[in-house]
Amino acid sequence: MGPMKNIIETFNLTKVYKGKIRAVDNLSIAIKEGEIFGLLGPNGAGKTTTIRMLVTLTKPTSGRAVIDGLDLAKDARKVREIIGYSSQEAGVDENATGREYLGLFGSYYHLDAQTIKRRSDEVLELMELSDAADRLIGTYSGGMRKRLEIATALINQPKLLVFDEPTLGLDVQTRLRVWDYIRQLKKEDTTILMTTHYLEETDKLCDRLAIIDHGQIVALGTPDELKGEIRGDVVALTLPLQEPDQQAKTIEQAKQLLTPQSFVKDVRATSDGLNVYVDEGSSAVPPILHTLEGAGVTVEGITLTRPSLDDVFIKYTGRTLREEKGTARGALGGVKPRGGR
Amino acid sequence: MTRMPFIRDTWTSLLRLLRTFTRSPFYAFIYLVQPLIWLLLFTQIFKSLTALPNFPTSSYLQFFAPGLIVTLAVFNSNFTGFALLNDINFGVLEKVLITPVNRYSLILGTVLYVAVTGVLQIAVVLIISFALGATLVTGVGGILVTIVIVSLLGIGLTSLLGALALRAKRVEPLIFVSNLITLPLIFLSSALIPAYLTPDWVQTAMKFNPVNYAVLAVRPLFLTGYDWNAIGVGLIVLGAWAVAGIVIAEFAFRRFGD
Repeated sequence: MGPMKNIIETFNLTKVYKGKIRAVDNLSIAIKEGEIFGLLGPNGAGKTTTIRMLVTLTKPTSGRAVIDGLDLAKDARKVREIIGYSSQEAGVDENATGREYLGLFGSYYHLDAQTIKRRSDEVLELMELSDAADRLIGTYSGGMRKRLEIATALINQPKLLVFDEPTLGLDVQTRLRVWDYIRQLKKEDTTILMTTHYLEETDKLCDRLAIIDHGQIVALGTPDELKGEIRGDVVALTLPLQEPDQQAKTIEQAKQLLTPQSFVKDVRATSDGLNVYVDEGSSAVPPILHTLEGAGVTVEGITLTRPSLDDVFIKYTGRTLREEKGTARGALGGVKPRGGR
Repeated sequence: MTRMPFIRDTWTSLLRLLRTFTRSPFYAFIYLVQPLIWLLLFTQIFKSLTALPNFPTSSYLQFFAPGLIVTLAVFNSNFTGFALLNDINFGVLEKVLITPVNRYSLILGTVLYVAVTGVLQIAVVLIISFALGATLVTGVGGILVTIVIVSLLGIGLTSLLGALALRAKRVEPLIFVSNLITLPLIFLSSALIPAYLTPDWVQTAMKFNPVNYAVLAVRPLFLTGYDWNAIGVGLIVLGAWAVAGIVIAEFAFRRFGD
């Protein structure tokens, strides 16, 4: 097999809003045919703006992009023929039935009537909407609307499928299903570019990912490569809940105490405590506790983990995404290893 | 049909709007009853105007029927802007815009929808007016000219309000603008009363109001016969108005994603 072709190449792609906000800043990236590629970043990092440029919704301020050999600026219409786009909101027309809505897009993609019928049946089946196909979308549940919205993005059998936050706001069950669909599509040789701010999603689905912050790529690689950059273990400490100001002070105090220790490689604050990066986790826990409790800092919970994408994310952006998911780690008294991924 | 994507795209978007129209029986009902209410109210309220010296006809209904047809076109153009806003807010338009669909087809489909539903209303006004004793001296030819003139007016106004919806992406500016302009557009025209009964400044303002050009072209068709001068001026002014609207709407479509 020859070298894989790039389906997307961008060269210094830049989008400046209102003359000053650089939403995307000289972004150069190559995405290979057939892979699932994730753009990971906090809200406002430039993920959505990047894909909006790639799907021809927004024109770049400068730089260029080539999609499947077509220059985005010159051949926007041809680019549109080969992409499918699933937006953040479940964009649907309540006054149409599911089948009619798919037919609308099939027609706008200039498919013939037979193909529209065949593809509609296929994507309705794939999205498990066959039974609801002839009902008005107004009667659909939120999860069904999202699935129909994804179905419309598949109607033209796109070579490149772009997902903006495919599972944002979905319940766990629907999210797992959407993941299955995405894996299924990859098997059918569709290239998938997705944005997400769920780390788990990139970890489970993506062949490669780029972490974006302030409109720039700060890290790029396979999930394992990125995790491999952080060697050793992570000791995640939870401190007791206090007034926000007081809590921040305590966390800072703990950080000052641990940073000079010889066995500590790095310390980073999290929303409810600290992550301490060490070579060997189990031998590091006693001296960490000793140091903190000696200075009067109470530790409420300790979790020992392998580095996760979370840690990679924190390393490159200085921020954690954990707040957005709510604190799953509560007041756990002892050492409870998370499954190392 | 697949060989002519422009025609197909236009047809597809027209059909979709018409389907929505027929799926909302209540809306369709209001749409058709609205002319009846206007006809009854205005012919009662302004009945005595015909007693004024030089009033062009002895029946206010005869005078008002063409004015109402134009007035309804103004009102309905407003509705279409809101329909577009629905597509924007539900994320439908964004999805449509990344398909290879022709942008002008989307505008033209909407514009044809305005024309088709406008024709329905014209039919209702004519049927009721005829039943109440009004006449149309130019007959079928007059109806066709009326449809063309009124459609051009509606196309321009729909496109401009559509462009506003595309820029603003919110309902408030659209409500504000549509409330602000609708009544002045109607009252600064001779839709309801003859121009000579209004102050000079109003008559001057009428010269800048596309609605007035539609009324001037259409009314003689009902009262006296073809006024080719007024029809010619109406076609030029309203043709330019419609083209300007479509060009601005297309620009707004292109800038929509920014």
